[in-house]
Amino acid sequence: MSREIALKAEHIVKYFDQPERFQVLKDLSFEVYKGEFLSLVGKSGSGKSTLLYILSTMDTSYEGGLAINGQALTGRTQNELAAFRNEHIGFVFQFHYLLPEFSVLHNVMLPALKLRRKSRAEVEADALELLTSLDLRDQAGKLASRLSGGQQQRVAIARALINEPAVIMGDEPTGNLDSKNTGIVFDILRRLASERHQTIITVTHDEDFARRGDRIIELSDGRLVRQ
Amino acid sequence: MPGSTNQQIAYVYLTSKLKQTLVAVLGVTFGISMYVFMNSFMTGVNDVQTDLAFSSLAHIHVYNDGPADNTDLVSKIWPTGTITHIHSARIIQYTEGIRQSGEILNFLRHQPELTAITPQVNVNVFFRNGANRVNGTLSGVDVGNEDRVFHISRYMKEGNWNELRYRNDGVFLGTTLAKNLSLHTGDNINVLTPDGVSKSFKVIGLFETGVTTTDKTKAYLEIGAARQLLKKNADYVSDIQVNITDFHKADAVAHRIAPVIPYKTESWAEANQQLEAGSRLRDIIAVAVSLTILLVAGFGIYNIMNMTINEKIREIAILKAMGFAGRDITIIFLTLAMVIGLVGGMIGLALGYTVSTIVAHIPFRIASLSHLPMAYYWQDYALAFSFGLATTFVAGYMPARKASKIDPVEIIRG
Repeated sequence: MSREIALKAEHIVKYFDQPERFQVLKDLSFEVYKGEFLSLVGKSGSGKSTLLYILSTMDTSYEGGLAINGQALTGRTQNELAAFRNEHIGFVFQFHYLLPEFSVLHNVMLPALKLRRKSRAEVEADALELLTSLDLRDQAGKLASRLSGGQQQRVAIARALINEPAVIMGDEPTGNLDSKNTGIVFDILRRLASERHQTIITVTHDEDFARRGDRIIELSDGRLVRQ
Repeated sequence: MPGSTNQQIAYVYLTSKLKQTLVAVLGVTFGISMYVFMNSFMTGVNDVQTDLAFSSLAHIHVYNDGPADNTDLVSKIWPTGTITHIHSARIIQYTEGIRQSGEILNFLRHQPELTAITPQVNVNVFFRNGANRVNGTLSGVDVGNEDRVFHISRYMKEGNWNELRYRNDGVFLGTTLAKNLSLHTGDNINVLTPDGVSKSFKVIGLFETGVTTTDKTKAYLEIGAARQLLKKNADYVSDIQVNITDFHKADAVAHRIAPVIPYKTESWAEANQQLEAGSRLRDIIAVAVSLTILLVAGFGIYNIMNMTINEKIREIAILKAMGFAGRDITIIFLTLAMVIGLVGGMIGLALGYTVSTIVAHIPFRIASLSHLPMAYYWQDYALAFSFGLATTFVAGYMPARKASKIDPVEIIRG
């Protein structure tokens, strides 16, 4: 397996100012490799979600350096980061967060329509292919709000994949699912990492889920205790 | 669905909660229709007021306003402090009316702004019928030109205005004046001038301008007959009335020509500042009322936009997480507001026109009016529409900007 670096975090330090100044992350440095399935674990309040949102470029108030695919991201403007996320990062959240007034197909297409790398027809074809591979082809025309939780989470994964991002990040992607759907979602993510060499970083409470990945990073009180 | 991705999202948001969208649209519709209606009405009122005023008022008036006060000649020669004893000083030589009226008329006719001009011989007289006597103004007029300046033929109740041209024994009376003197068309009326000349004329018609003082005190006579009555020559004129293309410019024109004319040259606005004040005040009221309505409509939009954004705050966070920039979010919600403004504005213009038309049919029988006055100027409509759009833009921009600044991390992490 090639050891190409997908994500590099250097000396990440993060403070919370509310309710009082408090250091959440204490000088974290690590690397994530391409095609790696990485789980961030730790107790509640250990800072693992905070770390994920910093890695995701959405949270910019930190000290230290972050690079994805060799591109330094620290210090860029919000709009530049938004464009970067659009192209290189896919998200799956605990609460699927689809746009309920849009069809399933349209939900999946949105990030690609925003990116405008492909024509609308191509995007639609890609989206349908993704939905087919996730066994959701017959749900494409429905409103997103009409689907079951497991189905919605798979739509969210399809949406995260539409722009073929280098990194897919999940915040408790299975936290809200039963064991059957958890299994399905894990298998999809596992397959993406091994077949497409996409990097997966998830925050999870699920010990079993974490153990089945390639690597576990455990945080405790803002420090890395296992990597 | 055509259009950019942002427009599509705005479209879905607009159509998914149609009821809410409709309420916002109605707010704009109401504001703009009221704006159109109020302004059309006020403009109509102002136009009628102007018409009424100019039925007895020309844009520029040239007349001899009497001799200057030359009774204190001593102090002009002797140093101040000189004690003088002069009693009952009076002017012993003074020309009445306008001399060389032909030259002045000719000069005025060559002004580029001039549209109509008429010379008059006005004299204060007693109108008498038996024991009834009423003080009033007898106006000797150039029949054709008088009508061009004052459109008096429009106000004729009985008789034909042009008949005056051929009847130097005939007069037209204001309706109230005729009533006060118990006179009807065909009756005789006696006129007594300040110089003591008494002459009988025949009443050949009645007019009603709607301006009470005019209808109560005025009578028209052919200008030649008036000169004859006053024993004046054929060049004698007491007043010259001038109309120009734009009555708003009367002041400027009057000031320009005044130095050339050796008599008092006065614009209508100078002589009747209350008219100007009334017209301006009505304009201010109309603008104040309609802007208030638009402001309320604007608050309505602001509220609905704020509500929508609060409802969709998670979706906005997700859009941002997916890579939509703050600018995209602003565009989405601004598009939302502007569509509401455009649709509401267009319906508002139509509704405003409809309301104006209906109100214009309400009977209103005072003065020479039969219905409520209403004006239809495209400028009012254009202004209403652009004000409406500006209001929705501001009302939409503030919440849209707020939405664009939403921090996705805060929302998604809860």
